[in-house]
Amino acid sequence: MPPIIDPNKCIRCGKCVEICTEDVYYGSQAGEVPVITYPKECSHFAGCVHICPVKAVTLRIPLPMLLVYKPAEEVKVT
Amino acid sequence: MEEELIKTDVLCIGGGIAGLMAAIRAAELGAKVVVIEKGHAQYSGCGRMGNDHFETYIPEVHGPDREAWIEELLRTAKGEILISQNLLRAQFLRAYDIVRLWDSWGIPMKYKGSWEFAGHSFPGRPMTHVKYEGRFQKQILLKQAADRGVEVRNRVMAFELLTEGGQVTGAIGISTREDKIVVCQAKAVMLGTGKCSRLYPGLTPGWMFNDPHGGVQTGDGRAMAFRAGAELQNLEMPQRHIGPKYFTKFGQATWIGVVRDWEGKPAGTFVSKPDRKYGDMICEVNKLAPEQYLKAGKGPLYMDCRGISAEDYAYMLHWTAHEGNISLLDHMRDEGIDLRKHPIEFATYPLRGGGLITANEKAETSLRGLYAAGDEAFGDISAAATFGYIAGENAAAYVGDLPESCFSAAGPLIEQQKQMIDRLRGRTDGPDWEETQIALQQTMLDYAGHTRNESLLLQGLSHLRRIKQKAHAALIARNPHELGRSLEVLNMLDLGELTFIMALDRKETRGLHVRPDYPFTNPTLNQAHIVSRRNNKIHSQWRPY
Repeated sequence: MPPIIDPNKCIRCGKCVEICTEDVYYGSQAGEVPVITYPKECSHFAGCVHICPVKAVTLRIPLPMLLVYKPAEEVKVT
Repeated sequence: MEEELIKTDVLCIGGGIAGLMAAIRAAELGAKVVVIEKGHAQYSGCGRMGNDHFETYIPEVHGPDREAWIEELLRTAKGEILISQNLLRAQFLRAYDIVRLWDSWGIPMKYKGSWEFAGHSFPGRPMTHVKYEGRFQKQILLKQAADRGVEVRNRVMAFELLTEGGQVTGAIGISTREDKIVVCQAKAVMLGTGKCSRLYPGLTPGWMFNDPHGGVQTGDGRAMAFRAGAELQNLEMPQRHIGPKYFTKFGQATWIGVVRDWEGKPAGTFVSKPDRKYGDMICEVNKLAPEQYLKAGKGPLYMDCRGISAEDYAYMLHWTAHEGNISLLDHMRDEGIDLRKHPIEFATYPLRGGGLITANEKAETSLRGLYAAGDEAFGDISAAATFGYIAGENAAAYVGDLPESCFSAAGPLIEQQKQMIDRLRGRTDGPDWEETQIALQQTMLDYAGHTRNESLLLQGLSHLRRIKQKAHAALIARNPHELGRSLEVLNMLDLGELTFIMALDRKETRGLHVRPDYPFTNPTLNQAHIVSRRNNKIHSQWRPY
């Protein structure tokens, strides 16, 4: 569930925790890898992804939110 | 519980475009200004990740006759305009000034050195929206605010206005990060708190925060304003939008494509191939088209960008990022979705609470010292920026001669609210905000939804009041974060109740307010439907726009 933080890349700067308006990172401690306490409150604007100085944050878009697109090739029925 | 007192001249509640513009203007006119924001002002509001269209008249583009341009806007309005035309005139008297101001602050309002108009306009008609590169607008506005001495307090959520003698004297808030009450004493208050986006279930009901506004615009300002005695209007007129399914995002006019069905037949008549200047206006003329196609057995409908030129494709992606939809671009990249090959299904987004805080051309509400702008009052990015600025200007003038706000009578209300907060935080069993929100949303959809009648509305009102009563008696908040969510849902319960009351009072069918028991539109009701609370009773009236 969004967002996901790569602990190996994270430099524990806390920028994502600071700016998330929904505060999905509520409860994170300074100097530690952020925790994602309220993943379902993510609004998927990706502010945290793009403010992270080391690209440690990614959003996993939940299955109910996947974009629906018309496939380029014919849909095989059988 | 810890308590903090903030004293200021102008208190801006909400750090979106309107709130920041009000703060900037009031501060440069000499007022002491504090912005309180329940999230973080760098990424809050509808403009949090950017915008790319700004509705404005520009003399060197449109010619000297502003009035003719406004008349054109009114003539080709996409849907009924539920506000006073005086507001539109006031907006377009100043919008161009704001455009130049923003450009001078570093928000690029020109594209490659020229005014670039595209989208939101009909082929062959005057263009209405200048393209601008707004991706970093919030950071830039925050810097302008800081340069003028504005203090921004993030993670402070106001939930009740303070008034004395019919005049606003401040607000009570909480910290959403620690157990703390924040009392704000102010001579004037500006509400820039956005729309109410979670009143009805969203497109993905299990993922409530999947909303093009983001999930935290919960009508806090209008709920507070109403409880304090200010007038609201047209809450019963719901709205719907259109956009990509299921990843809900605004930006209908940023797409360069044609809305087509599975077989490739266009839904509208405005364009037959991707057109960078106009997009496909069917999205704005009929936002219900995707739903109508589905119901008629002709769906789905797609935004089909196939056939777009390489230059126009790059142009569209450039503006999509500035519109704030970079996460949508990221998602398409990750999923291998290529707009040059893959039409994207479009949906009519579900019902959303409508209405606004009644405000005049000076952004004044009906309550002395209370101002409102942005989605809370009316409009788009241009209206938010322009009326925010106007609100700041008038608030600064208003506070100039006032003595420090009288706070003598605020004590009992503050004490009462503190006890309410203590109860929310102290309970261990009971519904939390999410459970309450689900109950509210299903009641709104089932009883004040697509089709309404007196029996349904009365039943729904009765049921909603039961939920509201239980929520006030039993709602739990496990920590300061959930306390904020709980206060949001309490606000929305008030707005839901008002929606029922106003829908009962609107005995006609108009727009998305569909009442088979009153199937015709009543021309005498082409007025603002106003509601306010006086002496603890709800008072409604009709007043010409």
